[in-house]
Amino acid sequence: MNRWKKKPITAKKPTRRPALSGDGFGGRGGYFFRRALTNIRQNVFVNVVTIGTITLALLIVSLFLLIFVNLENAAENWSQRVQVTAYFDKDIPAKDQSLLRGRIMALPGAQNVTYITHEEALKRFKVRLRGQETLLEGVRPETLPTSFEIALTRSHRDTEGVERFVAQLKKVPGITEVQYGEEWVRRFNSFLAVMRLLGGLLGAFLLVAVVFIVSNTIKLTIYARRDELEVMSLVGATRFFIKAPFLFEGVIQGAAGAAIALTLLFILYEGVLYNAGNFLAFTPAVSGLAFLPPEYLAALLLTGSLLGFIGSLSSLKRFIDA
Amino acid sequence: MIRLHNVSLAYQQDVPALHNINLKIGKGEFVFLTGPSGAGKTTLLRLLYGALSPTRGEVLIDSQNISRMVPSQIPYLRRSIGVVFQDFKLLHSRTVFENVAITLEVLGWGRGDIGKKVMYTLKQMGIESKYNLMPQRLSGGEQQRVALARALVNDPKILLADEPTGSLDDANKNQILAIFKEANVRGTSVVVATHDRRLIEQGHKRLVVLNKGEIVEQVEKEAHNGEKAN
Repeated sequence: MNRWKKKPITAKKPTRRPALSGDGFGGRGGYFFRRALTNIRQNVFVNVVTIGTITLALLIVSLFLLIFVNLENAAENWSQRVQVTAYFDKDIPAKDQSLLRGRIMALPGAQNVTYITHEEALKRFKVRLRGQETLLEGVRPETLPTSFEIALTRSHRDTEGVERFVAQLKKVPGITEVQYGEEWVRRFNSFLAVMRLLGGLLGAFLLVAVVFIVSNTIKLTIYARRDELEVMSLVGATRFFIKAPFLFEGVIQGAAGAAIALTLLFILYEGVLYNAGNFLAFTPAVSGLAFLPPEYLAALLLTGSLLGFIGSLSSLKRFIDA
Repeated sequence: MIRLHNVSLAYQQDVPALHNINLKIGKGEFVFLTGPSGAGKTTLLRLLYGALSPTRGEVLIDSQNISRMVPSQIPYLRRSIGVVFQDFKLLHSRTVFENVAITLEVLGWGRGDIGKKVMYTLKQMGIESKYNLMPQRLSGGEQQRVALARALVNDPKILLADEPTGSLDDANKNQILAIFKEANVRGTSVVVATHDRRLIEQGHKRLVVLNKGEIVEQVEKEAHNGEKAN
């Protein structure tokens, strides 16, 4: 006997026109978002795999960024040592000093000008010859020339910038000699160029690898759910309707992966660096190591979401448009 | 309702899966498609729900020529066609209720209405108590009834079934046939592809026999049970 046949049907067939939830994007957007959350709940394993992959990939990228940003900060500090010294053969009276200072400051690239008197010059010389001060016995301050020490703006700290500034400076009357440590500036700038090139290359490789790994992981997870795409298509869902929840899911996975990666990075930064400080005296405060600035954190979150979105979109294209 | 005019389809050149098919199925008709494996039954059904396009000829559903439809129009055609398969094609990560609700979600129904209509349809299928179970916890017959509920929940004009009872025992076959007949009584045209002789005999409906991609025989329901008319 058929049990199902014996049961009396008590539910009344709905007769009024059903309310549509799809009027406007708000309704559908809400539906797609809820659907995406439900999908995540119903497919825990594949979502854990995807979020885990995105987390690891972005953790590597953000660690690289942390190192790169700190190297850039260090380079910025070192580059402040690029300065030009202009020597005079005689003392400059106070009123001429301000006139000259004005002229130098008017040159493009000058950031700050400091006047070094005879006494200051001798004091610095003594510091440099620490332990052998006896060599300076009998040397009178007037023996050493007075000078202007000129710090340069950031855009004039490269080799060409310094040379351009020096050429202008030499035209200022009263200056007999200009020194700026040509060799050091050249080496420092070559080092910076190599560091940025290597960083850029490594960053690009990392990004390509991350995009490749994440999009393939998403492709596999969508492949595992291709029956869902087929059923949706069978019951008359448009391509957009099928894709939208997966895209929302991709964005959620990407944002979650990025958020977890940044949290782990913060824990690593706080835990490892501060603990290391206890026995290595290598605390962020002392070493000057900084955490990623907020704009980098926002960019990483956005990158994660974009990765999830683009990964899902490209994978869906393969299964739905085929 | 359904009209095929000189339809041919070849998956590979020189190997036709269907050849010069002419077929008319009226509104509210019940047709069995039968024939040996590889005769073209599944291909014919796939043509009817727009999963394939004919190499030659015209396929008209409700006067719409689906051979000329662009891909973006196909989903709207499918909303008036219910399809069931031998392997049920249920989503195992979703409950019975959610599996059936998909059809109405696609149509944009509100949640309250979906709940009422899905429960009503599950009740018609006799599986309303299983609404919160996962499909893998149901028997084969129950799973097919969920698939049928999904196909019928929006009262489609056409119901297509590809070997729907292929993996079911006799008791379940009877239940499924009864559901087909009930849907047919409510006005849905039903096309069932099967080589289950018992199902066809019990059905007492029009029979279309395919072989090697061609219609070789058509039996009207009046002439059933022995007498055959070409």
